[in-house]
Amino acid sequence: MAKVFTVDVAKCNGCYTCVTVCKDEHVDNDWTPYAKPQPEIGQFWVKVKDYVEGTVPKVKSHYIAEFCNHCERPACLKACTVGAIEKREDGLVLINPEKCTGCDACLEACPYDAIYKNNDLNICQKCTGCAHLLDAGEKLPRCVEACPTDALWFGEESELQDFIIGSTVRKSETGTGPKVFYRNIPGKFIAGTIFDPDEQEVIIGATVRATNGGKMWEVLTDDFGDFWIKDLAQGIYDVVIEAEGYEYKTFKAVDVRTSVNLGDIAMTKKKD
Amino acid sequence: MTKGPIDIKAHKRVIKAAGLQGPISGPPTWVESDKDGKIIRIRPFHYDQVIDWDSKKPWKIEARGSVFKPPKRTVHGSFYLGYKKRVYSPNRVKYPLKRVDWDPKGERNPQNRGKSGYVRISWDEAAQIIADELLRIKEKYGMSAVLSQADMHGEGKHVAPSHGCANRLLALLGGYTIQMRNMDSWEGWAWGSKNVWGCEPVGEMNPAGNLWPDIAEHCDALLFWAGDPEVTPMGFDGYMASRLSQWLHNIGIKFIYVDPALNWSGCYLADKWIPILPNTDAALYLAIAYVWLKEGAYDQEYVKTHAVGADEFFKYVLGEVDGEPKTPKWASEKCGVPEYTIKALARYWAKKTISIAIGNGGPGIRGPFATEPARLQSILLGMRGLGKPGVHQVKWLEWGIFSKNLPLPYQGETDPKIPQRAQPVPPPGKAESFAMENMEGRINEIQKRFEERGQVKDLGQLKADLDKLREITRPSKTPPAQSIPKCLIHDAILDGHVEWYGLRTFCGPDHEQWEKYEYPAPGCSEIHMIWTDSPCMVTCWNDGFRFVKALRSEKIETVVAQHPWLENDCYLADIILPVATKFEMEDICEDFNGGIFQSVFLEGQACPPVGESLNDFDCVAAVAKKLGEEYYMAYTNDELPFDKLVELYWLASNVSHLDTDNELREKGIFVIPPMDGIDKIPAGLREFAEDPENNPLSTPTGKLEFTSTKIKEHFPNDEERPPYPKWIEKSELHDERFGGERHKKYPLLCMSNHGRFRFHAQIDDHPWNREIPAMKIRTKDGYQYESAWINPRTAAKYGVAHGDIIKIYNERGIVLCAAYLTERLMEEVVYVDHGARFDPIDPEGIDRGGAINLITPTAITSKTVTGMVVSGFLVGIEKLTDEEMEAWKKKYPEAFARPIHEAAGVCLDGWLQK
Repeated sequence: MAKVFTVDVAKCNGCYTCVTVCKDEHVDNDWTPYAKPQPEIGQFWVKVKDYVEGTVPKVKSHYIAEFCNHCERPACLKACTVGAIEKREDGLVLINPEKCTGCDACLEACPYDAIYKNNDLNICQKCTGCAHLLDAGEKLPRCVEACPTDALWFGEESELQDFIIGSTVRKSETGTGPKVFYRNIPGKFIAGTIFDPDEQEVIIGATVRATNGGKMWEVLTDDFGDFWIKDLAQGIYDVVIEAEGYEYKTFKAVDVRTSVNLGDIAMTKKKD
Repeated sequence: MTKGPIDIKAHKRVIKAAGLQGPISGPPTWVESDKDGKIIRIRPFHYDQVIDWDSKKPWKIEARGSVFKPPKRTVHGSFYLGYKKRVYSPNRVKYPLKRVDWDPKGERNPQNRGKSGYVRISWDEAAQIIADELLRIKEKYGMSAVLSQADMHGEGKHVAPSHGCANRLLALLGGYTIQMRNMDSWEGWAWGSKNVWGCEPVGEMNPAGNLWPDIAEHCDALLFWAGDPEVTPMGFDGYMASRLSQWLHNIGIKFIYVDPALNWSGCYLADKWIPILPNTDAALYLAIAYVWLKEGAYDQEYVKTHAVGADEFFKYVLGEVDGEPKTPKWASEKCGVPEYTIKALARYWAKKTISIAIGNGGPGIRGPFATEPARLQSILLGMRGLGKPGVHQVKWLEWGIFSKNLPLPYQGETDPKIPQRAQPVPPPGKAESFAMENMEGRINEIQKRFEERGQVKDLGQLKADLDKLREITRPSKTPPAQSIPKCLIHDAILDGHVEWYGLRTFCGPDHEQWEKYEYPAPGCSEIHMIWTDSPCMVTCWNDGFRFVKALRSEKIETVVAQHPWLENDCYLADIILPVATKFEMEDICEDFNGGIFQSVFLEGQACPPVGESLNDFDCVAAVAKKLGEEYYMAYTNDELPFDKLVELYWLASNVSHLDTDNELREKGIFVIPPMDGIDKIPAGLREFAEDPENNPLSTPTGKLEFTSTKIKEHFPNDEERPPYPKWIEKSELHDERFGGERHKKYPLLCMSNHGRFRFHAQIDDHPWNREIPAMKIRTKDGYQYESAWINPRTAAKYGVAHGDIIKIYNERGIVLCAAYLTERLMEEVVYVDHGARFDPIDPEGIDRGGAINLITPTAITSKTVTGMVVSGFLVGIEKLTDEEMEAWKKKYPEAFARPIHEAAGVCLDGWLQK
């Protein structure tokens, strides 16, 4: 049995409601032995990361909600020297605030930066999956219940296979078996607009090709002369723009560590 | 470990509408408290755990093989679900306060408002001082010398509304001066578009019935013209707009955003972002019209049959009037959109079916000459066949609040209309109010409704109840003696005399636009005392620093504020009354606009009042008591008990006769099923589109007036709002464009919008929202500054890095912010949301809190348009040096001596004199 979180990044509108209700549940409320109160600010048992890529006017945002991964083989549990960390039968990983001595071993061991130090109480703290509510008969942790766009879900791993198959996890290479599954994290893009500077007209239906190694991506410019080559992996790409009646335009070795706007590209008419 | 479940059921659970629009209450939440009355959590309301979901016949929208349905729980954002921190904020006014150097019997020191601190006083003393001051002012100047600033927004409460309770008492004393709210979020449409398409009372397209199903079926694209479904609806309705927008995008509708910023919707859903310089939209509209005219690419047949005055307007567009054709090249220089993009947009719009999606005003409609882009928007929709399938102006919030019939996605059979015990902005004299409907006209209707259903046996009792109701819901036996538009309060005080057009009533009919009024009105006094229950002028209105100057005038002898939190204009008050939030009181409320179901529900008390706070109604009652038993009994309707009041309000609602199973009492909520045949209501202006002769608009000609009959009649030579809309470069009132004289000194355009993590002035002290970098940045001095968005390339030009403290300035003053560098904003623009709390360094010129409206333009929209200008104005930016900050610390020691709460910013402690 394993409780898991799923995150559909395409549905996340970046509203931070998950963060708010997590704090609503855990700041000023004492759920010992599940968790002691979270400090008023500074801890993010669920954290929203805001990614903005590209440059004006080819810009895209997405948000990644990060939780404790309630790992199958938790690094924190292994690191804890006082036996304060337990992986429950339902899969949730909890730090017992009454046993924790605040030695920070778990905090340092966690590859996901999911554990926080509460200096006032001298304990380490993190997401509990709202285990205190689940044990009282609730079906969902607060963040999932409140997510206004249904981007977050929570349940039995065996019952969420439709989502999980083909999804990704954070830092799979750590081997801890994270149990928060993501879908629809956008890849990188190369975008731009092509236009005829003499006519001051966009060029519609031109072919734009990006190549990297042996792979090729091809799109046509749209009604605004825009092209978007989306969902690329990070890498170095060559881009060629081919518009009928115009000289080829090439961009060599475009560095797509982050998404790239090639800008508004003035095309040169072929000479007769 | 983790043995034994925690008994969460031991907690008390009450329903609370946590909408912040006020007067409308908003969608329900569950608030759970422990046995000691401490709020534990606030969570969505789950309909399916309370009612039989299917029996309420939930609505659905079907299009393109997909179905959009309402969720079975309410969908809120951080405003509502984090409200616990607002209730328990360290910034609560916990007991009555008096300004330390204000002595009603001696020196009043008005020049120190915004500077001196406060001392705690007793309720007895506070109420006595206010009562004495009211009588003194009445004796000396007459009651018209008392200004009531009772505005809307805030918690939606009914039994003790957030706004207007003082009006009841002031009316009993013989009248007062009312601050009339200008059309703050829809200035351009109200003063502009009404003259194109009528659409009373707001001027946005109306009726708005069934627009979303029609759009889902027919639209190729939505043009988000300064519209953001993620932001503006939040304080009103919650997140149904987000769900709807995602669904529309998923079924294939393209989303195009015309906006200086890639807004919170566009940043994750945009198919196309067209950045445009703030308040230059008129140029873009004109150039699009030019392309359509040149290429014959508009609905010429429709314009012939549905519009008047098109030829005059078209001649102007083509340059036949002023020799300047409004070409894409011409527009590009004004608005910063490339010529080729303007042409592409014009042609795309011409060949596709497109609606314009707005979210009330925001920055797009609150600039200088806002009437012009608004009218052009209406006219361009007219050129595309307004009212035909998929051709509408549509709004992401309220869901057709002013429509005759309620549209989808919309819920109930009818607006529940739970009455309110006070009226925030009653008009002076005898004029009718549009928005704040008088109950009087509904009494007979209610009686009839019950009689028809045979539900009332004791007709005598019903009549007695209705008489009582009449008494309660008619607060202003004496209407206000005079009014002052909210955007002219500062001028009224400082200049002693103002004249203006319109705004006799809030959201009044168009004929008011041509009527001129003055202050002081004949027989009335200048104002010498102010009572505010909406203390947010400095952070939400025009030229806040001038408002501070006005309130420091010797003329203003007494300022009373009643508010739950010590913020903004509260610092200018002499007496502050502590108000309980809605969580601390019982009420009957309605969900009119949550977008799932409409409902009426009973709100329980979630926690005891914080400190000595009283609800708004009782705050005023305390003063009434000091005035004498007669006033007190009249004010409280003979101490009408709460239960009786709720019973009467329920009786008076539009829906109590539908609750045949007594669900309100038994379940605590009556969920109103949708009306049968709701999907048959014609979409928007469809009937006008199909048969304009028999379904005329409310314009004088019944047609779309590309050239306005009324403006031509009343102000034929108005250069700022001419008979047909024009590009207005500048005027005597405003020089806020690139290339103008002021641009040399103030090189950037400032855009200001509703905040995403704050609702106008509300929520700025919220510790968890303040941790979001797009809202606040904690800089090297530990202070959380308001984030000012700047494009990295613009920032580099001024030597500004991310997280730097910057001065944003013009001739009106300096506002400090932290630079938030982002590609979501175009170059040459600074973007600061309004509503950050005022934290004066120099109350007349330097602010640390980031309240950008302190330096918004003084002048109204244009000479004949009494609106405010709060976006699209020129500013300069500069990195604040350590030396300058140190110099301020020496010069203004009291400002820097205020302790600052680490999580919530400046709070009560900062202003208390121990």
